[in-house]
Amino acid sequence: MEIAVRGAMSVMDKLGILTDAAKYDVACTSSGVDRSNQGQGMGNSIASGICHSFSADGRCISLLKILFTNECIYDCKYCINRKSNDVPRASFTPDEVADLTMEFYRRNYIEGLFLSSGIINNPTFTMELIYHAIYKLRFQHHFQGYIHVKAIPGADPLVVQQLGFLVDRMSVNLELPTKEGLSLLAPNKTRKSILAPMRQIQNQIVSSKQEIAVYKAAKPFVPAGQSSQMIIGATPESDYQIMSVAEGLYQKFQLKRVFYSAFIHVNEDKDLPALPGGPPLLREHRLYQADWLLRFYGFEAGELLSEERPNFNILLDPKADWALRHLEQFPVEINKATYQALLRVPGVGVKSAQRIIAARRSQKLGFDELRKIGVVLKRALYFICCNGRMMYPTKIDEDYITRNLIQVKEKLPFSLDGTTYRQVSLFDDVSFHGQTNREERQLALFGQI
Amino acid sequence: MNKVLICEDTLIGIFTGIYVAYEKKMDHSLIQLQLQNHEELLLFSEYENVTADEEKAIKVIRTLKKTFGDDVYQWICYALATTDTLKADAVYHGIVCGLSMKQKQDFMGNLANPYIHTIFKLSRMASNETHHWLGFLRFQQLENGILFSRIGAKSNILTFVAPHFQDRFPNENFMILDEVRNLCVVHPARKQWVLVSGDLIAKEMVEKLSGSEEDYQSLFRYFCDKIAIKERVNLKLQQQMLPLRYQEYMVEFQ
Repeated sequence: MEIAVRGAMSVMDKLGILTDAAKYDVACTSSGVDRSNQGQGMGNSIASGICHSFSADGRCISLLKILFTNECIYDCKYCINRKSNDVPRASFTPDEVADLTMEFYRRNYIEGLFLSSGIINNPTFTMELIYHAIYKLRFQHHFQGYIHVKAIPGADPLVVQQLGFLVDRMSVNLELPTKEGLSLLAPNKTRKSILAPMRQIQNQIVSSKQEIAVYKAAKPFVPAGQSSQMIIGATPESDYQIMSVAEGLYQKFQLKRVFYSAFIHVNEDKDLPALPGGPPLLREHRLYQADWLLRFYGFEAGELLSEERPNFNILLDPKADWALRHLEQFPVEINKATYQALLRVPGVGVKSAQRIIAARRSQKLGFDELRKIGVVLKRALYFICCNGRMMYPTKIDEDYITRNLIQVKEKLPFSLDGTTYRQVSLFDDVSFHGQTNREERQLALFGQI
Repeated sequence: MNKVLICEDTLIGIFTGIYVAYEKKMDHSLIQLQLQNHEELLLFSEYENVTADEEKAIKVIRTLKKTFGDDVYQWICYALATTDTLKADAVYHGIVCGLSMKQKQDFMGNLANPYIHTIFKLSRMASNETHHWLGFLRFQQLENGILFSRIGAKSNILTFVAPHFQDRFPNENFMILDEVRNLCVVHPARKQWVLVSGDLIAKEMVEKLSGSEEDYQSLFRYFCDKIAIKERVNLKLQQQMLPLRYQEYMVEFQ
């Protein structure tokens, strides 16, 4: 009976089920490889990556993100596809995957394919299925666009190696930041089995780079590097622990990216936290900000957080928070400071720091020029001076600057907690429309208010 | 007496204008470049029309590439693709400033100069838009197998978009029509793309879609709908990343 139902499933139904199942995977980047077409088939790849659309949640759609199958022998508690869930199951055939990818790509809907999978029979078997689909795409259809696949922990290293030569990016999900969390929520996975393929991919990337240096025609192995992702807020780790894990992944495993995904409650389970306020989006946002600081701004996790202060400030971004605790290093003289010092100024990003360096070669910079360059002066003004002068007479005082920085509304991709109202109480002393006018003051004088 | 040179709004026209301005051997601050149909009348000025001359323009282009490098030339081309009316003057005075710089390769870095800053701003605008169209442009397969796409670009970015798609789809026949300018990129399979202007495209031909086209469109629409996480829905963010002016050309929003 069940087979009959499945046999009738159209590509549309399968796409629905397998997209639904894949949407919680975060990585949707198509960056890291520059490759032009060799004249056969279709496709190329651009190092900057290209976003092709944005879904209703504001996340970019650049790859056809699907699972090969959502059947799974594992029972991870946070996952919608776990064995014990009663959800509709479907599997693509390699031909269907190839056909969808090619036809979407021709119409410029997507930049390539992101293929992950639930585990069917065993990890090696699943990886072999993925390999067949990718092989078809690369050698029958001569698809030269971007392909990202998941390496499944526990699969035979040989399959991982074979697949690595066909794809641009591979990723192994770390799932949860610590070993304890993993054993609680993903009993079928261990830290060791996750790190093993990660190490294998790292080593092969390095050796393939060396080979290419000697012999140009050597096949590149995972040229866009590997990435990973962790679920945030399902287990009680602090931000400091998470950042330290991410830093370890960047340094020891040379990962290109670590993605953080705010935990979304899809299963009812006693081991999962209840999140009445929705997924922890602000926390996820702060982690990404800090992640950028690690990768592009020369910060270390230990500078941003510590055992004593294990979590990020809700009101301030991590960089401003750091700057406020290190006021002795400010103000920075824009016309003389090193690139590294400029990067640490709140309101100055990588691009504006580079522009400052380039622009001050030709002439001395003042605040007007900085504004043109793209420095966010309302945040930076407490930390910089131009030609020995600050923009306004400013106290270099932590409380004073904090107060002012909090008033500058931070641009968040969502409203802070989703609410714009609050409960009013009789004892609140709130002025609802800001300043009082003259009439009101007069009324107050005569005791009429 | 101030001099105002009026040039055509094309790459060749503006570069010819710059050539003519240098030919005058006047103080550069007395010369202004304006675009045809966007003239601004100034007192005490002499007006002169410049006819586009390919030879002169090529000389300017050669000098630009030689002194500043290909990258800067590319930036300038992007700036001139915008619809800003002050672009010709900014490029002209920017070049004057650039030629007096010691390190000429640092041209785009000299953002403290107002003209170079304008070039920078405009060219960033056009190159960002180009990058957006690379992703947001949608092809439809017509009955005769040709991939056809319609775009409505703010800047004239068709020539920046075309090489990317030629490289991506070398074996496809495709066309990209800029509705605003009535320009069209035509790429016959395995050949060099060409730019065609004017009303060459028959409406009836473009409306006849291939049999499977509708299926793939609805598949993609369904995919876009399914990929969104309901708990995170944020339409404001979506619109910020993907402004409405692009959405009207995209199948998933129709």
